[in-house]
Amino acid sequence: MKNLVYILFFFCLISNAKTITVGKSYPVKTIKQALAMATDGDTIIVTKGIYKEGNIIIDKKIAFLGKQYPILDGQNKAEVLSIAADSVVVKGFKIINSGHAALDDPCGIKVYDRSFVSIENNILDNNFFGIYLQNCKNSLVKNNSIKAYGKQEQLIGNGIHCWKSEQLQIIGNRISGHRDGIYFEFVTQSVIWRNISNHNIRYGLHFMFSNDDSYITNVFKGNGAGVAVMFTKNVKMFNNYFEENWGDSAYGLLLKEIADSYIFNNRFARNTSGIYMEGTSRIKVEKNVFEANGWGMKIQASCMENEIVNNNYVGNTFDISTNGSLVLNTFNSNYWDKYEGYDLNKDGIGDVPYHPLSLFAVLTENNPSAMILFRSFMITLLDKSEKVLPSITPDNFIDNTPLMKSLPL
Amino acid sequence: MRTIALTCIALLTLISCGSNEPKPIKINTDSCDFCKMTIANGQFGAELITKKGRYYKFDDLACMVQFAKSNTVVPYQSFFVNDYLKDNTLIPAETAHFIKGGKINSPMRGNLAAFSSAKEQAEFGQKLEAQPTTWSEVYNAYK
Repeated sequence: MKNLVYILFFFCLISNAKTITVGKSYPVKTIKQALAMATDGDTIIVTKGIYKEGNIIIDKKIAFLGKQYPILDGQNKAEVLSIAADSVVVKGFKIINSGHAALDDPCGIKVYDRSFVSIENNILDNNFFGIYLQNCKNSLVKNNSIKAYGKQEQLIGNGIHCWKSEQLQIIGNRISGHRDGIYFEFVTQSVIWRNISNHNIRYGLHFMFSNDDSYITNVFKGNGAGVAVMFTKNVKMFNNYFEENWGDSAYGLLLKEIADSYIFNNRFARNTSGIYMEGTSRIKVEKNVFEANGWGMKIQASCMENEIVNNNYVGNTFDISTNGSLVLNTFNSNYWDKYEGYDLNKDGIGDVPYHPLSLFAVLTENNPSAMILFRSFMITLLDKSEKVLPSITPDNFIDNTPLMKSLPL
Repeated sequence: MRTIALTCIALLTLISCGSNEPKPIKINTDSCDFCKMTIANGQFGAELITKKGRYYKFDDLACMVQFAKSNTVVPYQSFFVNDYLKDNTLIPAETAHFIKGGKINSPMRGNLAAFSSAKEQAEFGQKLEAQPTTWSEVYNAYK
């Protein structure tokens, strides 16, 4: 009996929430009209069509659903969708042509100071900022496709921009043509998973002052630089692809002033520099592949107590480079394809320690134009003698247990 | 003939060394010499020239000041900052008018904007809820 009462009560709740359908062939023609009619807990379904209603503000706890991707057009004037209520769901829209400004940041979708918002399966095209979360908690951004057409000289916003937020999930988005694909500033305890961030102007992913986050299984290809992690602690970086981030100041992964992080099982292929580290400490770099980069890793002398273990270095022009003589980092049990030692006791570990730092890498770090001498006979000779008897390169820059075979990664 | 050509080259070199004109920043190509970020915003960039004639570019005023403070041995000749209102136009820092804080959103959180006139400084100070400040204050704010 008691159960029945509960069930009845439940049905009462459901019947209270109504569904409003918006469209040409329905009594409600515009989204703003539907929003005015709605109360907390309602659902608004928008049918196919083009809606040019300026800035649409959702300030009630509703589900806002698009059927067959209705188009919300900002006509290059306004912010398209502003969310100012908790627990809003936005699904299945095509949001195009937001305004373009420098003073404030008009967005495709912007969430103001809210929790439990989810933004799923939308297409954002040609917006200044794509999705912007400001002061948000526990929110989800999933399976959106975000595209813009930033030119080199033009000011353009970020694809997914998160500011002063916590516990966010950024999952399965595709982003291209923005300034930064995903930008985290003062964001904590969040996860970035399975995104594809390609061909953005500055970075694929950018962390600033954002602690305790992780990014897992993402692809960063062809960006100005792949990922930048700056002024941050406790970041986990697992299973990502950093590919083809070419350019004068481009890096696969740029680390600056970061600590206590873990870089595991990533692939750095065909970047100008795979990883660039500066002011970085207590980081473990384990089981990564560095393949066909200009420089596998650049570790500046300001880095301390980093552990570089069990990585594969294959086909890089230079495996490692540094700018000073101070070495406070350890290299152990990596596979280096340039290693020319032998293994008499057949334990898989080379009997001669390997010096991963080539003389020429050090020379060009201080004097880039020396690159013109690369692969000349004299340099090769010097390099070989330097390997046997280090004099210019720091002699404690050494892998004591280099592997004979590459790790199956 | 050859001597004239050589003299010309020598003179040109000398002139170009002594020049005090800022080099334009290439947006999205040049990187900041302090924080290594690619400069992507033409409103907050900065540039300094040393007495030897070397140019350093920055994406944020804070980066320039911190850079200048961290290399105290180098004598600097001049400092330039981007005009907030004119995209990627450099003006001398000594004569610029600054505002600080408020709603200003600069790349490395220096949150300083520069203007070429006091009128613009007052107007945008109000708009962005920022405080007016001077070049010497900005320069002395960082250790």
